[in-house]
Amino acid sequence: MAPAEQDVEMKNVDSPAAASDVEMPEVKKDADVLAVQDLREHVRQIDKAVSSKEPRFAMRVLRSIPSTRKKLNGNVLRAIINQLFPASSDKDALIAFVEMALPDAVEIEAPRSRSAPKSPVPEVDAYIHLLVLLRLLDTNKLEEAVECSQLLMNKVTAQNRRTLDLIAAKCYFYHSRVFELTNKLDLIRGLLHARLRTSTLRNDYEGQAVLINCLLRNYLHYALYDQADKLVSKSVFPESASNNEWARFLYYLGRIKAARLEYSDAHKHLVQALRKAPQTAAVGFRQTVQKLAIVVELLLGDIPERAIFRQAQLRKSLAPYFQLTQAVRLGNLQRFGEVLENFGPQFRTDHTFTLILRLRQNVIKTAIRSIGMSYSRISPKDIARKLGLDSAEDAEFIVAKAVRDGVIEATLDSEKGYMSNKESSDLYCTREPQLAFHQRISFCLELHNQSVKAMRYPPKSYGKELESAEERREREQQDLELAKEMAEEDDDGFP
Amino acid sequence: MASVKDVATLYQNLKTEWAKKPRKLEKCGELLNKIKIALTQLTFLPSNNTAANQKELILARDVLEIGAQWAVATKDMKAFERYMSQLKCYYFDYKDHLPESAFMYQLLGLNLLFLLSQNRVAEFHTELERLSVDVIRVDPYVKHPLALEQYLMEGSYNKIFLAKDNVPAESYTLFMDTLLETVRGEIAACIEKAYFCISCNEAARRLNLPSQQAVLEYGKKRNWVLGADNCYHFSASVDTSASAAEVFPSSELAEQTIEYARHLEMIV
Repeated sequence: MAPAEQDVEMKNVDSPAAASDVEMPEVKKDADVLAVQDLREHVRQIDKAVSSKEPRFAMRVLRSIPSTRKKLNGNVLRAIINQLFPASSDKDALIAFVEMALPDAVEIEAPRSRSAPKSPVPEVDAYIHLLVLLRLLDTNKLEEAVECSQLLMNKVTAQNRRTLDLIAAKCYFYHSRVFELTNKLDLIRGLLHARLRTSTLRNDYEGQAVLINCLLRNYLHYALYDQADKLVSKSVFPESASNNEWARFLYYLGRIKAARLEYSDAHKHLVQALRKAPQTAAVGFRQTVQKLAIVVELLLGDIPERAIFRQAQLRKSLAPYFQLTQAVRLGNLQRFGEVLENFGPQFRTDHTFTLILRLRQNVIKTAIRSIGMSYSRISPKDIARKLGLDSAEDAEFIVAKAVRDGVIEATLDSEKGYMSNKESSDLYCTREPQLAFHQRISFCLELHNQSVKAMRYPPKSYGKELESAEERREREQQDLELAKEMAEEDDDGFP
Repeated sequence: MASVKDVATLYQNLKTEWAKKPRKLEKCGELLNKIKIALTQLTFLPSNNTAANQKELILARDVLEIGAQWAVATKDMKAFERYMSQLKCYYFDYKDHLPESAFMYQLLGLNLLFLLSQNRVAEFHTELERLSVDVIRVDPYVKHPLALEQYLMEGSYNKIFLAKDNVPAESYTLFMDTLLETVRGEIAACIEKAYFCISCNEAARRLNLPSQQAVLEYGKKRNWVLGADNCYHFSASVDTSASAAEVFPSSELAEQTIEYARHLEMIV
């Protein structure tokens, strides 16, 4: 969800259309006609969703937004608006936002219908309006996008229909996105709060989830960690929100907790966010989360596994963090300073800079630990020299603190002026192993319980006969399609 | 109804009173209270419906700034916190409407130090996140508490004692004193753990106390035992941990085993 991700996505949005433009007008013509047909099909689905009150039809349409988005252009949008809307001021207002069709574009004939088009239901209206907004975003007309998005918000807020909820949620998301791109994010905070209140009252889970995430993003954009923390503590994130929204929410939560020094919580949330995030797409999101997760893990005093840095997609962007990890692992203060110097600007754009500044003490701790392991007796002066500290006095205080924090087992002798290590006691005589085992066992049990809970069974299928081969093939076909759609949605979920 | 003019004259009064040396703190407090009541008639409290008048905002901000400094001078921590939270709204939310105040970073830095001296580290970092990185690196008022936090975290306590003398502004000293008291407590805790025995002189040096007499008093507070050789001995802590290891945690173990059994039963 960092701006970089949006950019990645934006780039591949326009390219297919542009490429086909030049080479094959034939193909393009077909593509446009097909796109309009697809859109008509979508509209039919939404109509069905409204009349049967089954949100899953609308869900399917929304899931295919990323692929639809690639097919949009002025020609297609004009055609579909002309076909669906009766002549009215609404239609004119909408069509004004659509760019002029290219001169060589083909005329798309409307299928002959017996009667003039009736006014579409609000859901369809909102959907088409959203598509227009997306097109404006893709063609980078931000000023118009703001205006268009405002109109859309007015339309959505004026309605009180449960069937509109899903589409409205998408609208909120892009509304906030438009204002972020135009750098006016603080203006819509009030609106988002008002909508959140309404959707909470109406049990609109998807809307709630999207709005909470938008608000958190809004606060974090201005580094208002205090407010964000209060929002999280005062609101309940809906359990049934989609995975993508959960992943976002967990990431924001991780950021807030990390800023408030609750590192173990932060780490837990970030790891969960990584698990919930789509595994194949949304590389940018995973990069961002992984970066933060590495820093938090370092702050916790752990060293991230090397395998994390080897993943092909993440390797390049994690390179600075790899250097950082090495500096911390070796306890090399000088190298730590160099990394900070070299990659400072990048850490700043990643919002990890202030967190990394806090790492200094961890570097010192590691260094002291390694000194403690290799020397049985050493004077503070030598420690100061090894750590690159200013004076022996500093070193003495730092060692004293390390002893108190349980980093090393040692004693200081002020008379003779040295630090002597205690013989490290046999760890297996203590309760330490038992506690570690307990932790692992409870983790496994918890995992098992969670997975049992997560399993779903179709209702009342236990009594049925086993399906025939024919049926099975059909079902598998459907599953495949669904999986494909889901994968596409993943793509979209993290602009 | 008080108009802007009335408030402005009151503010002028306050300003002259504040600038006088020595200050009459009570009189300033009275004036502040009066002005605050008068300000509520103006656009003092932020709300959506009225477009804020720049002049009034600046006036209110200046009053609050003096208020915050007054609170520090009278050592009223709670009042300081209140003034700061009101001021933050002027500093951050009206950033685009107002020219930057000369006192802004001084007061923000003071607030950071205040949080640090109260050991509210989480809030300290949340506040810090609001400031841009350039400010953090360059501004002397903000850099000071930040450096202190770093010393505190890594344990270079003597640097904090050194930093006491080069505070960026006079108002910082109050919080520095509380901070030093906290630091002394930390050092004492460290000494207890890290040394088997330490002579009175050494302890005085570590704790940054002026004389042995002071050390003796401080030691009494923490229940330190002075040995015959004029040294403090710390071995009690070792003994207690050793005795704790002897005790077998039977109830805890039983609890865990029963829980495993319950879970296993669910799985099977």
